[in-house]
Parts: sequence; C-alpha cells; structure tokens
Amino acid sequence: MPLFFSIVKADYLQRTRTYAFLITLCATLAIAYTFVPPQNAGYSTIRIAGHVGYYNSAWFGYVTAIMTSIFLSLVGFYLVNNSIKTDTRTKVGYIVAAAPISNFRYLMAKTISNFLVLCTLLLTVLLMSIILFFLYNDGYSLNLSAFLKPYVLIPIPALFVVSVLAMIFEVILGKYAMLQNGIYFFLFSALLVSPSKDEIQFALDVFGSKVVMHEMVETVQGILQTEADIDMSIGYVIGTTESNQKFHFTGVDFSTTFIISRLLWLLCSIGIVVVSAPFFHRFDTKEKARLKKKIPKIEIQKPTKDILLSSLPAIRQNFAILPLIKTELLLLIRKGKRWLWLLNSIGMFLLALLPLQIAHQFVLPMLWFLQVGRLSQLTTKEADHNVHYFAFTSYRPIRRALFSQMAAGMVFVFVLASPLLIRIAIAKPFETLLIVFLAGVFIVVFAGFLGIISKGKKLFEVSFFMLTYTALNGLSFADYYGSQPHGPLYITILLMIVLLLGCSCFLIRRYHLKAM
Amino acid sequence: MTLKIQNVSKRYHGSTYGLKDFSMTIEKGILGLLGPNGAGKSSLLKMIATVSKPTSGCILLNKNNIVKDANYMRKQLGFLPQDFGVYPNLNAFEFLEYMAALKGVGGKQLNARITGLLEGLNLMDAARKPLGSYSGGMKQRVGIAQALLNEPKVIVFDEPTVGLDPEERVRFRNLISELAHDCIVVLSSHIVSDIDTIADQVAVMKNGSLLTKGGQDAITALVAGKVFETTLDRDQLSVFKTDYLVVGTTRKEAATKVRYIAEKPISGSLQQQANLEDAYLFLTKTK
Repeated sequence: MPLFFSIVKADYLQRTRTYAFLITLCATLAIAYTFVPPQNAGYSTIRIAGHVGYYNSAWFGYVTAIMTSIFLSLVGFYLVNNSIKTDTRTKVGYIVAAAPISNFRYLMAKTISNFLVLCTLLLTVLLMSIILFFLYNDGYSLNLSAFLKPYVLIPIPALFVVSVLAMIFEVILGKYAMLQNGIYFFLFSALLVSPSKDEIQFALDVFGSKVVMHEMVETVQGILQTEADIDMSIGYVIGTTESNQKFHFTGVDFSTTFIISRLLWLLCSIGIVVVSAPFFHRFDTKEKARLKKKIPKIEIQKPTKDILLSSLPAIRQNFAILPLIKTELLLLIRKGKRWLWLLNSIGMFLLALLPLQIAHQFVLPMLWFLQVGRLSQLTTKEADHNVHYFAFTSYRPIRRALFSQMAAGMVFVFVLASPLLIRIAIAKPFETLLIVFLAGVFIVVFAGFLGIISKGKKLFEVSFFMLTYTALNGLSFADYYGSQPHGPLYITILLMIVLLLGCSCFLIRRYHLKAM
Repeated sequence: MTLKIQNVSKRYHGSTYGLKDFSMTIEKGILGLLGPNGAGKSSLLKMIATVSKPTSGCILLNKNNIVKDANYMRKQLGFLPQDFGVYPNLNAFEFLEYMAALKGVGGKQLNARITGLLEGLNLMDAARKPLGSYSGGMKQRVGIAQALLNEPKVIVFDEPTVGLDPEERVRFRNLISELAHDCIVVLSSHIVSDIDTIADQVAVMKNGSLLTKGGQDAITALVAGKVFETTLDRDQLSVFKTDYLVVGTTRKEAATKVRYIAEKPISGSLQQQANLEDAYLFLTKTK
C-alpha cells in the first residue's frame, strides 16, 4: 500500500509542478470566469426559452457544476492521457515494472492521480465560482450546501470516469495517440447528445448534467404553463441577454436511482481497470513490438582501422539556413504514423475538389488540426529528444535554429493548404488569401509559443483542439482562418496576434538560453 | 591557444553552488577532469561549452570572453554532453548534416567528411538506418562524430566512453591522442584508467572546487611511498577501514587483500607503486 500511495503522490506532484499545468490552471480560471456571465454580458451559457435563473447559490452551483463537468470531461481527458507515456519516456516505468506492484494497483494509482489532477482544476473552478457569486448575486446569501451538492454528484463522478478512460485508452491504444484522441472525441460527442428523458436515461448520463437541465426546463415550462418542447441552449451563445426573463431555481432533488447510478459509474470504472490490467504492457513495449514485427538487425563490421582525422577533408564555414529548414521539414514529415499521410492526402484532395466555402470553413481547420502532433513538438523536440545541448550551443541558436523551425512549420502548413490557397488566389479577393496565409503563420507561432512557455506539447494540443472545435462550431471569435465575414480590423488583429506570439517566441527562448 | 577560467561560480538555488570561485588555465593538449558525483565537472564543462552561463567570473578563449561572446567559442567547439539524444527519425548521415548546419559549416567537402567520420567510427554500414534503431554504443559514436564535424579547436567530452565496449574505448583514446596535437581537449570521466593513459594534465575536483591540477606524475607523487598492501581477515576489514584509507580490496576465500594509503603502514604490509587512482582517492577522500 505505501508503494501505491507513493506512485499516486509522485505522479500528482510531477504533473502539477509543470508549467503546462500552471498554464492550464490559469486557463481554467479564465474559462470558469465566463461560466456564469455578468448581469449584462453579451452572451449566455445556459438559457431556457429566454429564461435564466436568479443568481442564487443553487443557480451558481448547478450552472458551474454542469459547465465544469462538460468542459473538464473533454479537456481533462487530453490533459491527463499521458501518465503511462510519461513513465515510459522518463524510464521510471522500468523501475515500476521491477517493483512488487500489480498491474491493477499501478493502473489504479495512475487513475487516482489523473483524478486528483482534474479535481484540483475542479476545486479552482469552485473557488472562482464562489468569488463570482459574491460579485454577481441577486441579493441572495451564500448557501454552501446548495452550492456544493451539484459538485459532488455531477462533475466528481464524471471526472473519475474520464480519469479511468484516459488511463484505459493508454493501456489499449498505447502509442496511437491520434486514435485515442479521435475515439474519445466521438465518444464524448455521442454521450453528450444522447437522449435523456426518463430516470434510466438520467442514470446512464455519465456527465450527470441532463437531469439538471431537465429540471430547469420543467421549471420554465411551469412558468410558461406549457408542456410543449421549449428551447434550451447550453454553451456559449453570443447575443444580448438583456431581454432574458429570470426564474427562481432552487436546485434538484436527486432521486435515489440517480445517486446510486453515480456510485455504479464509479464501481464500473474500477471494474474496467480490473479487466484492463492483464493487457497492460508493463513497459515491455520494445519486446512486444519485436514479437509483432521483426526489426532488421543492424550488422556492424568489426573495426579494421583507426580514424585518421588529419586525412579527412577540410570543410568551410557555411551559415546558410536552408539545410536547417530542410532537416526541420524532414522531421515534420517523418513524425507520426505513415497512415496519417493518407488522411493528409485525402484532406488536400478535398481542399481541391469541394465547394470553396466548405473547403475553407471545415476541411482546412481539420486538415491543420491533424498536424497537431507534428506542430506541438516544433520547439520542444530538442528537449524531448535530449538534443538541446547541440541545438542551444549551435551558432546563433535563435536567429538560425529557432527561425528555421518556424520557417519549416510554415512551409509545411502552406504545402498542406496549397490546393485551397491556389483556388482562393484565383477566385477570391487578395484579402482572403492574406487571411489564410496569416492563419497558417498563426498556428505555427502559436505552437512555437506554447511549446516554449510550457516546455511541453500538451498545452498546444489541448489549446489547438479547443480552438478548432469552437471554430468549427461557428463561433466567430475562434475563426482564425477567416471563413466567416469579419469587420475591417480582423486582419490587423490577426496580424498583431501573429507578431506578438512570434516576438514572444524569440524573446522567451532568448531568456531561457540566458538563464541556462 | 589558451582557455582561462577566472573566478567562475555557478549558483543554483540560494546558497547551493555547482562551482565556487573556480580558476584554471588550460593549454593545448588533453586535460583529464576527475571528481566524484556532484564535484561540478558537468557544470564546468557546460559553461565551457556555452550551454550555461556562470553566475560570476569569466571564461576567456584566446583573450575573448566567451560568456559575453558565446558564438566565438561555438564556431570552434566540439561538445559531447554526458546525456545527449538524437532524433530517432533521422539517419546518421542526415543527423550529422543537421549538426553541421547548426554549427555553421558546410561546403562541397561536407559529405566526404561525414563519410570519413562514419567510416572511422565504424558506423558506415548503418549510416542510412534511422537512429532510433541504434544501440547505446552506436549513438555514443554518432555523438563523437558530431563533435568532430567542424574541425574544432576546443573539444569538450563529458563521460565519453559510456556505452563503448573495450575495443571502442581503445580506438576512442587513440582518436583523442591525435586530436591533442593542435586542440584543447577537456575530458571528464569517473573512470581513472580512461584518463591516466592519455591525459597530459589532470585536474581533480570536489564540491565545486579545484583540489589540484598538474601532470600525472606530480599528482601521483602526492601519495608516493604511502601506498601499501596487506592481507586481513574479513571481520578485521570494517575496523581497518575506520583507521586507514582503503583504495582497493581483493577477496580471496576467507581473507581479503587490502590496498591502502597511510603515513605509517601496519606490520606485514608491502609498499606498492602509487598510481593516479590512489592519488585521486587520497585527494577526494581526505580533503
């Protein structure tokens, strides 16, 4: 048991002491700030047929609990689905593999650690919500039990399930990070849109939000004295909320079935860990790969002569940057699984063939998002592969090495977008071409910037995912590639963001090099 | 060619120093750096290689302060860090081309030089295979090749023989000997035998300070006439260790042959020829 808790503690501390976690925490705080909008904000998060609740403890507690449950169930998965991978990368896994701990206990320890990381974010949201309550409330006093009850029954079980899923996906899908991310996203979407009208369906709702939304809808139906279906929006809906009617929401009297269902979700999740334990590779990954595929063994002839340095040809100074860009491009192209290039080819084909608006609005962001694994390592791969001693002691490491990384990234995204760029150049005004060009530069500097400040790839992966997801859902503030009509300042703002991120990359890397 | 390290300190956290007020002058030839873990060898080498900067003090290469002008050093540096990696998706040839570009060297002869290095380091057969499939020893040799790509004038090797088999170690030592004719070579190792066969000068470090620097004979002379050998019963050994500096033991059935350093030997001891390892242990254990 002490080993179990040691793994939980070490894993939790290791994750929460990274820059990536700190930045995620800050981002979560910023997002939590928006969960319950100020009284006259230009957007709403939960609105039922033009009604929102009075800002009392129950409304605050339930709205923030639901929003957090959904938000962290999606983002949280991507944040924590690398715990086993980290042990493999750091080689701590070999020590664990040789330690007297069963697969189940190790996986359970990782699950608990995942859960604690997510709970830390949840706690942050809760504290932020309580602070906001004191700022925005409609004259109601704080009722802590009404505030906390939804947190106990909605996000906490959901986050435990997410922690288990993140760990199981790592066990089963191992190195296929892209597949893990894709499958989870579809699973999440399916669970989110599944119907929930009766007690059983509420019990099956892992996020636990539908029973609350149902209660809210019924309350408003009572006010409107109708049994007909009424509109309910959840998520960020832009538009004035001044015309909203207020209603009194006192919370949900959760049924015994629902409470038991939360416990069953927890037990089922533990059961899944038990079932998956025998399939855990226990860090014998190379052995497993060898069994599947015979790697050609490199035969080395025995040395016959000593190296004579004086006989080697002399070389001259050459500060050209093209060889660096060439290698950076090679690294981008060779990164990841080869079958992903089939998807890239299909994406480029669709960019060339589909109606221009669809290609621009949907295919381009998805094709660029497919490169998330490549771009996320743009400025972190030296450290990831321990090549930073060479890269950082190279001749002019910022002006040459960092610049070549950025340039290669841009060439890469432009080549992928080339069918669309050509079509836009022919059929659209120059302004549109400029926007797509800036968008390509933006994702590269965005990847570079987040990689440099977080010293890891996770932050960019999660941020880029959220950006793409919100952009595909038509939210104009996330439309970085100009698929929707925008005001005259759009290009200027995009250009400023690109310049700001680009300059920050160079300045922060310079600072890091000086502080080494 | 002279490398001067003047009053260099490297402070990490609060009052923790990796190196404290360290001064040393290094001339052309091979300098072997010895010291226990935490002695500050890697900190020193990283500062010479411009990977990190001193908290105070300066490092002068031919009177140029490389702390302020790191690129002056980088143009003529070959550096093999202790724990370096490679890009697994590149092959050795591509990786060395990339390293050459990073160092700012190239030209028509680059391919021929890379080929020569790969041949000399016995990697030519695997030169077009991804580095991810290389063994530890092969990666170490790629590291050595990259350090020699740009015809360096200052070569810094941090634990270079890790992962090399005995035959490769001999070849590596020969290679370094050749380099020493017109370069400064700084070589750190835990293995005294790697240093004593090739180093012109030896520096011994402990707790971020220089204990001594000089020729091997001068350092060995510190323990000349003080190294003895005796045979003890196993149960006497632990008591003996509290009174004498034991530098080696060889177990033979119930008895143990003990090599130790002392001003006055115990009776029955035989005086032994002192070597660099004795002097190193004497310096690091007693000072």
